[in-house]
Amino acid sequence: MSDSTPQLATPASVGKRPQRVDLLAVAVRFQSLIGLALVSVGGIVFSPVRHGQILFLAPDNIANIIRAISETGIIAVGMTFVIITAGIDLSVGALLSLSSVLTATMMVSVGWGLLPTLLTVTLVGAAFGAAQGLISTRFQLEPFIVTLAGLQVARGLALVVSGNQYINISYGDGPGLAPPIFAILGERLFNNTVPVATLVFVAFAVIGTIVLNTTRFGRYVFAVGGNERAARLSGVPVSLIKISVYAITGFASATAGIVHAGQFNFGSANDGTGYELTAIAAVVIGGTSLFGGAGSMIGTVAGAVMLGALANLLQLNNINAALQLLATGAIIVLAAVLQSLVRRHEGGSR
Amino acid sequence: MSTASPSAEPARPILEVRQVVKSFGGAKALRGVDFTLYAGEVHALLGENGAGKSTLMNILSGVLTADEGELLIDGVAVRFNDPREAQAAGIATIYQELDLVPSLDVTANLFLGHEIVRNGILDNAAMRAGARQRLAVIDVDIDINRRVDHLSIGHRQVVAIVKALSGAPRVVIMDEPTAALTASEVDSLFDIVRGLRAKGVAIIYISHRLEEVPFVADRVTVLRDGLVAGETAPNALQSDLVRLLVGRPLDELYPRRSTKLGRPLLNLEHARFRLWHERSGWQPACGVNLTVHAGEIVGLAGIMGSGRTELLMALFGSGLPGAWEGVVEVDGQATKLQSIAVARLRGLAFVTDDRRGNGLMIRMSVGRNLVMSILRQVTPFFLASPAKEAEVEERAFRQFDIRPHDATIAVGALSGGNQQKVVLAKEVVGEPHLLLLDEPTRGIDVGAKGEIYARLRELADAGLGVLVASSEMPELIGLCDKIVVLREGRTVAEFPGGIDEHSVLAAVTAKEIAHHVG
Repeated sequence: MSDSTPQLATPASVGKRPQRVDLLAVAVRFQSLIGLALVSVGGIVFSPVRHGQILFLAPDNIANIIRAISETGIIAVGMTFVIITAGIDLSVGALLSLSSVLTATMMVSVGWGLLPTLLTVTLVGAAFGAAQGLISTRFQLEPFIVTLAGLQVARGLALVVSGNQYINISYGDGPGLAPPIFAILGERLFNNTVPVATLVFVAFAVIGTIVLNTTRFGRYVFAVGGNERAARLSGVPVSLIKISVYAITGFASATAGIVHAGQFNFGSANDGTGYELTAIAAVVIGGTSLFGGAGSMIGTVAGAVMLGALANLLQLNNINAALQLLATGAIIVLAAVLQSLVRRHEGGSR
Repeated sequence: MSTASPSAEPARPILEVRQVVKSFGGAKALRGVDFTLYAGEVHALLGENGAGKSTLMNILSGVLTADEGELLIDGVAVRFNDPREAQAAGIATIYQELDLVPSLDVTANLFLGHEIVRNGILDNAAMRAGARQRLAVIDVDIDINRRVDHLSIGHRQVVAIVKALSGAPRVVIMDEPTAALTASEVDSLFDIVRGLRAKGVAIIYISHRLEEVPFVADRVTVLRDGLVAGETAPNALQSDLVRLLVGRPLDELYPRRSTKLGRPLLNLEHARFRLWHERSGWQPACGVNLTVHAGEIVGLAGIMGSGRTELLMALFGSGLPGAWEGVVEVDGQATKLQSIAVARLRGLAFVTDDRRGNGLMIRMSVGRNLVMSILRQVTPFFLASPAKEAEVEERAFRQFDIRPHDATIAVGALSGGNQQKVVLAKEVVGEPHLLLLDEPTRGIDVGAKGEIYARLRELADAGLGVLVASSEMPELIGLCDKIVVLREGRTVAEFPGGIDEHSVLAAVTAKEIAHHVG
């Protein structure tokens, strides 16, 4: 760089560097897709083969993978909104459990119909999330603390409502029986190929992508996470946006709880443990920054599928659960390191 | 007194501030300030740190509300409860820490809060067209699809200005707009300011850089200690301005200079600090020639981004991924200064410019802070020794006159000036040979400044070498025995202390000042 041409002309001063940065940035941008591709290739190469068929690619196995991730996937879609605002929601797994208990209780013990049950449970979930958002913004508390408390509260409520018993769901017409249509959540459509639970996840992902990327609300979510003060001074209703994203995770967790109840035909106060960590992992692997302001829904979806495919591959090879945890941990660290590298190159915004 | 409009006094000012008072806790930041602003003028608002500039600006922009007094727009009393009300009233503010969202692109930032939406969906094409149109007004070529954190500081400034202008404001407040700009960017900014003035926009130009005032302002108001110290013409003598700013002649503020120099404590020849990773916004030292002798106070001058802080941090081995090349000698011995431990061992100490962020454990007591960097000395056999701590604390309190004289209160409860004394004392108790200071008087009042200067001179007289980086030119000129100018990581000039400001400024900005004046 010469002394005679000062900085105003950016191309000259930046010109040399970006080549490498851009490659790295692109790699991070699509890290979850790249990871998914790698895991898929690994799945094919390392898959056990039976009767000449690669088990990893068997339709049943693929259906298993996408079914297994549907619940945490639904939650991860909501979590993406929260994390882009630089927040976090730890209550999602407990809320899923509470919602599964509520769903089963309402249909079986209280005898409500399908629609009133679904509406009530999702509303309760959204309200629960909104309350956490409200407390966090109103009293300027870290979402970490508020949702950690929310986790305990939701889990406690689930235990109280269920009396720490499995609430089994039987189907039929009459008192104490759930509407048979509810059982569809555990089935597969289209020639017994696509699990219904997965379709719910896909619907969430599609709507989530549209809301995040094409609406004013989505833009505000990015703005709040990117620079809260700037957003406020520009007239963005910061508190309302924050409350809304927690309402969204609450709604998503409740939906996941309904799906859970439908898939397993019971409500349980002890399920969903650790789901918050799986969902957060999917979001982070998907390239969304925990510092807020940047992220992508497609990345989250790919992250969730990748985690599911990896777990499946390890199971197929009878690798024990401890090693699965190790592998997941390593991948999360790798994703975070990649992001940190890019941030350091770009400088500034931490 | 008004020099901008002596012939045709406009009927009514666009904005009037009458007897505004504002307190924070017990401290009065504004003690009855009057201020007027007419359409089509650039009114410079000057003042030392702590004089009340930012408080006044925050009241005008709706961030704070006044305790007493009136704001009038077109003669009508108004009161702003939040920034949006001020914006709606036609007052746009460009803050120093630019209010942009770094992770969003230029277009999204320009339209933040005013997005164009069609059928619930963002109309990105329309917003891009709008962004292009708005930027075209100001003749700067900026890629509207680029993320803001990938733009140069100057371009970010332009985006912030364009954003502020989108509401067609009648009053624009600019807070230290040139603080981070290169010389040519400053020129473009002044062009923008003049263009606005020509359109009848009234501009409040807040700065502490006296040197730029003649080029841009029509009228100057100086604040001191929460009051208007005076109003003057922009071409007033620097010495008059300084007297208004400081409240007393310069020579009383600064101690006398050193007469005898000892051995060289720090010697850099063709020294460069090579970072292993490039970082944007980071100007590594890339050609530094500099000597600090025992008993000498050396000043580092340069605009923001010239590499002042970076040089000090690299000297202090502050965990940066990089290495020194060229001649680096401390007390006559070559060293690599590769870590803070090594730097401390060599007798270096560093006083940060960010006392609340990096310098102090703000919630811990003054005493705990004072012994923080010499814990080993006060913890024989790994056990804390209250007696030794008390000894160190007592020495520091006496030497630096820290008030109140109580080691048990939280350091965050002290005034800025006393906090700064603690940051300084905390390094001095380690008995360094060479003291590196970054902006040692940022955000403290004039009285405390004078005390800090006196202490630094005493330390130098006791045989320390002192290297001070500062953005306040009068401070460097008044305090230092020698001033070294940094530009883009290189030392480009060296001046004796007490030299006239214009010569240093010319070297700092690499510009003929005369070119502007003439």
